[in-house]
Amino acid sequence: MKLDMRGIFKSFGASGVLKNVDFSLEGGEICALLGENGAGKSTLMNILGGVIPADRGEIYIDGAKADFTQPIDSMRAGIAFIHQELNLINDLPVYENMFVGREINGPFGFLDHDKMISETERIFAMMEMELDPRAMVRDLDPSYKQIVETARAIMMNSSVIIMDEPTSSLTETEIERVFAIVRTLASRGVGIVFISHKLREVMRLCTRYVVLRDGSMVASGSVADVTTDSLARFMVGHDVRTETLQRGRQVGRSVLKAENLSDSKFFRGVNFEVKSGEVLGVTGLLGDGRSELFQSIFGAGGGYAGQVYIDGSPVKVKSTTQALNLGLAYQPRNRKENGILKDMDILENGSISIWPVISKFGFIDRARQGELFDRQVKNLRIKMGGRTDLITSLSGGNQQKVMLSRWISSDPRALILDNPTQGVDVGAKEEIYDIILKLADEGVAVIVLSSEAGEIIRVCDRAIVMYHGRIAGIVSGDRMNEHDIMRLATGAESDREV
Amino acid sequence: MDDAPGTKRRNFFRWFAGSWTARPLFSTGTALIVMVILQTLALGFDFPTFGAWLSRWLVNWSNILRNNAGIGIISLGMTFVIISGGIDLAVGSTLVAIGAVVMMLIDTGPKGLLLRIGLTGVPAYAAAIIAGVAFGALLGEITGILVTKGKLPPFIATLGTMKICRSVTQHFMQGYTPQVPKPFLQIASFPVFGQLIMPIIYWFIFAFIFYVISKRTAFGRQVTAVGSNERAARLSGVSVQRVKRLVYTLTGTMVAFSAILQVSRIGSMDYANAGSGSEMDAISAVIVGGTSMAGGRGFILGTVLGALIIGVMNNLLNLMGVPPFLREAFKGVIVIGAVLLQKRESSS
Repeated sequence: MKLDMRGIFKSFGASGVLKNVDFSLEGGEICALLGENGAGKSTLMNILGGVIPADRGEIYIDGAKADFTQPIDSMRAGIAFIHQELNLINDLPVYENMFVGREINGPFGFLDHDKMISETERIFAMMEMELDPRAMVRDLDPSYKQIVETARAIMMNSSVIIMDEPTSSLTETEIERVFAIVRTLASRGVGIVFISHKLREVMRLCTRYVVLRDGSMVASGSVADVTTDSLARFMVGHDVRTETLQRGRQVGRSVLKAENLSDSKFFRGVNFEVKSGEVLGVTGLLGDGRSELFQSIFGAGGGYAGQVYIDGSPVKVKSTTQALNLGLAYQPRNRKENGILKDMDILENGSISIWPVISKFGFIDRARQGELFDRQVKNLRIKMGGRTDLITSLSGGNQQKVMLSRWISSDPRALILDNPTQGVDVGAKEEIYDIILKLADEGVAVIVLSSEAGEIIRVCDRAIVMYHGRIAGIVSGDRMNEHDIMRLATGAESDREV
Repeated sequence: MDDAPGTKRRNFFRWFAGSWTARPLFSTGTALIVMVILQTLALGFDFPTFGAWLSRWLVNWSNILRNNAGIGIISLGMTFVIISGGIDLAVGSTLVAIGAVVMMLIDTGPKGLLLRIGLTGVPAYAAAIIAGVAFGALLGEITGILVTKGKLPPFIATLGTMKICRSVTQHFMQGYTPQVPKPFLQIASFPVFGQLIMPIIYWFIFAFIFYVISKRTAFGRQVTAVGSNERAARLSGVSVQRVKRLVYTLTGTMVAFSAILQVSRIGSMDYANAGSGSEMDAISAVIVGGTSMAGGRGFILGTVLGALIIGVMNNLLNLMGVPPFLREAFKGVIVIGAVLLQKRESSS
């Protein structure tokens, strides 16, 4: 199948989001669709998926003009859109999820479970994947959820599959699993649109690239002819730094120290110390327990045995309120589920954590709230309309910066950032790294949790690598490289030197 | 732009449609204005003088406001509960329980509790009011603890307390009709400018207080944050349990004020039927006012307008001579219609 989008225009209100964009795709191609947040990638794909109509422009499929007014039209034409937020039902088993809306009925109108299971098994076999169709979706790793969605697209005989940042919440091994399936599909003639911010993945997986910037196509061509640097430059319109950021800062006194922390399920025997002015990385593969560990330390997880010290004095944190008062701050991963207050405005989303501090007799000091937030807006270079617009009106990168401002404004002495650049484009990513380093220079102890080894190497002074709830090793200096980190994270070798 | 004759009208429609979807209170306000116009037409203009018409219209309005003050006050607390993502089904039953306690305290008959310890007159009334409000807060606090510490869904917790309060009150108040002292009735019936508008004044004062709490205080904003994304609120240092407990306590307090108002208006209480269905009336007012049942989005001002819409509609049906049994059906239509017309988030 050949897909052609010609002269697509779209605007929301006064601002043009897509300005005369052409996009085409052939069967068997894996085409990367690149661009910063707000460049128009999602809008373009939403038009192709029939989610929103274009203002102007045509879509042709094998030369015939297509008219997509709703998602079902696009699906019938063989286009499957796998959204970033997966549309699976957690409480149903895998095979029922495969058939939601298109259930197979036996005689008397009852569900034919056996047939649905065997059909699912057939698809999985074709994808060369082992997964029990009876498993509950709730219990699956994120990568398998992604694969189930892909399998569903295959079952519908889709000839074009749009994947919107499929790897943003996956670990390295899981990414490999998804990539293998994508390659198999392409070899069978399916056209893939791969939206991602991770350029190295693009280099490894894709055959062609298209870059959007401010609603126009600025570059396209074969991936074989470009480097990650040039792709990054197309996206942001100027040079991007990729080298390791400068180290050798003065570190001060111990701010946060953990002694022999264990809980019943996620982590065991964890010891670490982070000092004022230091950037400590914590990394590992899925199931390493790093998020659970730091949520517990912040008073937002389950209880734990062991002892935590802040500024040298032992503390027992029971609630997030207490943690903030003690000078701890924790920015959670998955901002949509754990961060965004969708019904509230930008200002309130950025200042909720300091309300208790800036209130007098229970009343929020609004002048002070605005003043403190404006300082963060300048500091973090948040781009927005009015500060009383809804948070959901911002692009992903700016939403993430508002989340950062929420936890920075509480003036923490130890700031824990869990996946701080998740779903953020190259430009915003660099800005977030700058902010992290600036905070460290100001004497904050920063802890960066990330599954991207590259990110850890780039900003951290030292990194803890976790494997199944235990510290597998601590790396710094020359040993802080992707190879060593991966060896520790996969449990290939337990570090004895530390 | 062309100056075709239709331009102005098109602009008006565009403005209207835009405001309808962008400003939640706009739709509620418009609905209220339509209801008022209909009600004015139903009242008719068959009066000898303009003054006679106006005074009839005003009397009609003070009746509407007075009759809905009780529900209006309860629905203020209910708004907070619903914004926080909860629901309180018990308000009608706690109303009679609190009413019974207040009446037992101020009873001038031989069983009167305060009379027996020698407390009469204003000190007795003050004590009864304080006790009633404290009792209401306590009942709300119990619900709050069941929801937070007991981790019960609010629907279940308040379904339980609803049954308990009604049943226990009916049992203990069998064959006992307390005598409410005449001066106590002044609380609701003290004339202002020669009019019986005290309940309206209480309602609007409480509405103003709740409006300020919801917009300006850390607690009020935290209620919205909890309803919008409970996990995010908790990770931002909001004590979610405290916020949830407080919204039920606050509602219990409002129910207490409403109960005291009802005792002082009527001087008695029918324990089997009083307040029955008022939880649904309060929820209706909140929903018609544009607050989302899913939590996170809600408006105190909307709730006041919502209570008024329902009140005006009752009055309108009365003026038009609609049979009493049919009136509830119209309430149902209003609730469904209001939510259908409101701007809703697409569920996809």
